[in-house]
Amino acid sequence: MTELSKIRNFSIIAHIDHGKSTLADRLLEECNAISHREMENQILDSMDLERERGITIKATAATLEYTADDGDTYALNLIDTPGHVDFNYEVSRSLAACEGAVLVVDASQGVEAQTLANTYLAIDAGLEVLPVINKIDLPSARPAEVKAEVEDIIGIPAEDSPEISAKNGINIHSVLEMIVRDVPAPSGDREAPLQALIFDSQYDSYRGVIVYTRIKQGTVKPGMDIQMMATGAKYKVVEVGTMSPKGLIPREALGAGEVGYITASIKTVADTQVGDTITTVENPCAEPLPGYRPVQPMVFSGVYPADGAKYQDMRDALEKLKLNDASFVYEPESSIALGFGFRCGFLGLLHMEIIQERLEREYNLDLITTAPNVVYRITKTDGTVLMVDNPLDYPDPMEISRAEEPYVKISLIAPQEYVGSMMDLATSRRGDFKDMVYLDANRVELHYEMPLNEIIYDFFDALKSRTRGYGSLDYELIGYRDSKLVKLDILLNGDIVDALSFILFADNAYPRARKICEKLKENIPRAQFEIPVQAAIGGKIIARETIKAVRKDVLAKCYGGDITRKKKLLEKQKEGKKRMRTFGTVSVPSEAFMAVLKLDED
Amino acid sequence: MALITTKKDKHPLGIYVHIPFCRSRCQYCDFYSTTCKEDKLIDGYMKAVCSHIEETGPLAPNHIVDTIYFGGGTPSFFGAEGLATILTAIRRNFDVAGDAEITFEANPDSVSDNLLRRLRAEGFNRVSLGIQSDDDVILEQLGRPHDYAQAVTAFQRIRKAGFDNVSVDLMFGLPNQTMNTWMQTLENVLTLKPDHISCYMLRLEEGTPMYDIRNFLRIPDDDMQADMYLQTVEVLKKYGFRQYEISNFARKSKLSKHNMKYWTGGEWIGFGPSASSDFAGKRYVCVPDLKKYVTAIRNKGQVISDISELPIRERAGDYLMLRLRTTTGIAREEYERQYLLPFDPLEEVLRRYQETGHVRFTNERWRLTPEGFLISSAIISDLLLEQDKSEPLAKRRFSH
Repeated sequence: MTELSKIRNFSIIAHIDHGKSTLADRLLEECNAISHREMENQILDSMDLERERGITIKATAATLEYTADDGDTYALNLIDTPGHVDFNYEVSRSLAACEGAVLVVDASQGVEAQTLANTYLAIDAGLEVLPVINKIDLPSARPAEVKAEVEDIIGIPAEDSPEISAKNGINIHSVLEMIVRDVPAPSGDREAPLQALIFDSQYDSYRGVIVYTRIKQGTVKPGMDIQMMATGAKYKVVEVGTMSPKGLIPREALGAGEVGYITASIKTVADTQVGDTITTVENPCAEPLPGYRPVQPMVFSGVYPADGAKYQDMRDALEKLKLNDASFVYEPESSIALGFGFRCGFLGLLHMEIIQERLEREYNLDLITTAPNVVYRITKTDGTVLMVDNPLDYPDPMEISRAEEPYVKISLIAPQEYVGSMMDLATSRRGDFKDMVYLDANRVELHYEMPLNEIIYDFFDALKSRTRGYGSLDYELIGYRDSKLVKLDILLNGDIVDALSFILFADNAYPRARKICEKLKENIPRAQFEIPVQAAIGGKIIARETIKAVRKDVLAKCYGGDITRKKKLLEKQKEGKKRMRTFGTVSVPSEAFMAVLKLDED
Repeated sequence: MALITTKKDKHPLGIYVHIPFCRSRCQYCDFYSTTCKEDKLIDGYMKAVCSHIEETGPLAPNHIVDTIYFGGGTPSFFGAEGLATILTAIRRNFDVAGDAEITFEANPDSVSDNLLRRLRAEGFNRVSLGIQSDDDVILEQLGRPHDYAQAVTAFQRIRKAGFDNVSVDLMFGLPNQTMNTWMQTLENVLTLKPDHISCYMLRLEEGTPMYDIRNFLRIPDDDMQADMYLQTVEVLKKYGFRQYEISNFARKSKLSKHNMKYWTGGEWIGFGPSASSDFAGKRYVCVPDLKKYVTAIRNKGQVISDISELPIRERAGDYLMLRLRTTTGIAREEYERQYLLPFDPLEEVLRRYQETGHVRFTNERWRLTPEGFLISSAIISDLLLEQDKSEPLAKRRFSH
């Protein structure tokens, strides 16, 4: 075990694109945790999806051995954090495993929304926040001004902050020295009862679940009987150790202050929830670590294989994904239009997109997704209460005596010049203004209460575009409130397509119905006949569009040399038809289902 | 079984020669050609094609060549000498039928009386003249190197030289074109009394200059193009032209025998860069680059860039895609016998389109109507989809 005074536990936080992952790469390189040759860019973000989107979805960690200028060797535990509001809870747990955070600020962009949001999370977690000014090699860099900004807006000293270029490896050494010097060494009693924080876990087909943990008190060794305090699950420890970018390194024990992993033949990540506390069965700690919150999916949608024959493959894929992601839930459902599929619950929209993309890429499935839905509470006239997460289960309006929808308290932060547009946005989404706080001369925080349903579609994107990326959003559930709800049905060529039905606030029904009809018109290919697209509430048509009959779809020229090429075009058209669902006589491509989810894009 | 193969038993074969030279490049064209006209290059090319022909001839001892087609590019621009030399090489190395259809494509700016007389004397008996439009503004916009007056003169010269089988190419759906101007074009061109007309809807192919500026062109919309097409079919019918393919119309028996081979599963061999062949069960393509082609022939290197033996299912798909382009259409008996696949699933689709007037069933054959031709890609891809799902007939029989 490493001596407490020689351990530093830290995260890197930043606004998107300010160079968080690149800096992480450089730190690994500088400590020879990984050689340049082995270096795959942004090694910590190991999922393809993460690398592509430039965001970190799952937290990861690595221990770096660093011999500092003072001649001592330190164990630097770098804990990477996810960077999206959907995963705020996960971020807070990762930060709770650290004593310090390196705040990366882009030398030309300066302080931005996520810089602040993440900094506040770090400060709330009691971390020492150490600014680093990155991208100083860019011609537009203005390090001195940006340092002043950090001091003014965030209120932390930045005068001596390292000026670096993570991309070109400039001044990386000074970042490491700063970490050794300024991140407090962890404290803790290695003789005390075990108290270890789970900040992530991952399923491995050979070892079972690998739990990533920060030991707060006590010591954990192989052979110990441990239990998870929130879930109550008990296991015998098989192995403990530390993480390196190249893999896991077994150790004899992990003690207070250390970051590492535990394996214990755990079958499912559901037993090892992020934020839970691990202790021993024999000598349990008095109380769990603060801040644990059970997983609560907020958004539900139907997910179907585009090719009905792939149902079983999809079930297998979901099972495997679930092993690795305790935060999503699923159960089988069926739709007249789409056949057999699953009702899935997600933390938020990004989470939903990620799961879908992983299913499509890693498991090679084509999916059709229905409109996301929050969980409504419906009281029927006979007094029974239903929790409705699926429009198909929505009762007949005549049987409903009370309808309630979940509300959230949201906090919006942005420079004051965007207050007007943020207020417009919140008001247009049924936001109920609570208060406004000046964080400093320039930055304002607004509080609203609004239906969760209003933020699950595209609220975050709309906020970003209205505040030029400066706005940040956080929200928490505050309970159910009475609402006027209706179920909107969509008819194609006169037939209801159940998979397109959804529940919404009654006053929004008309504009939304119109938009959906327009979107479907754009996305459903013209057929040889006219197709009416209608939206209806309880049998009453409230919007209508018509898809004109196609009259021209022909390859005018096809001679000897063209045959192969023209055949490919037709084959492509044929493949496109495989991705379509036929409702009566109307073929609907899976893209159409996605398009109706993104109504406010234009 | 006969032991001696008589000429009558020989398999018909088409020969295509690609002439990849043009005076200038048309703004909509995506065929392979070059605008360079160095004598050395042209001479080198001619020699290469002739040796390619020489090498290939022995592979087709049981074939009789009944169609030869010089396409491009612009064969007329290549010159009479070159075309004649290549034709001679073909005659020398293949068994060419006495009544073979021998076509060359021509542009109005490169047909002199001399060229025409010479080619007629060599045995060429069909000309395909690229007129495209009677509107000089449009012709310029398309990048055509001639005006309409030249086209009229060229046509008259061709007739005078003794060609009694002349086709003209026209395009519609062109920038700024209206139904009226297109009908006027058609009427004007019909006064020349061609034997055959190809009318092509403009299709903007990616990679062509016109494709890049498509948003700035006032191209008639799909509905207008569809109306133009149907009107074209009507007018040509009135003038005695029988539609035999999506874009092709002929008077009397003057349909293009060579092109029909492409649509009815005939065999052909192609020479020149990017030329394709369908011969002895294989489909292949020559390297699509002039210099590489010439070098490969000279060094006895690899001339073919892409070759495949088509599986029967692939052939069955081609049957649907190509036959349905023609007014001959498809037939159950033909399909089931040749490809051992069930026609029933296809018939279901066809019946659906029959109800909407896109398909008709006459004399035991399924054919597309003009409205059907207009959405032929939709219909064919529907059929291909059903074909994909179907089990071979034999397999079904065994499992019963």
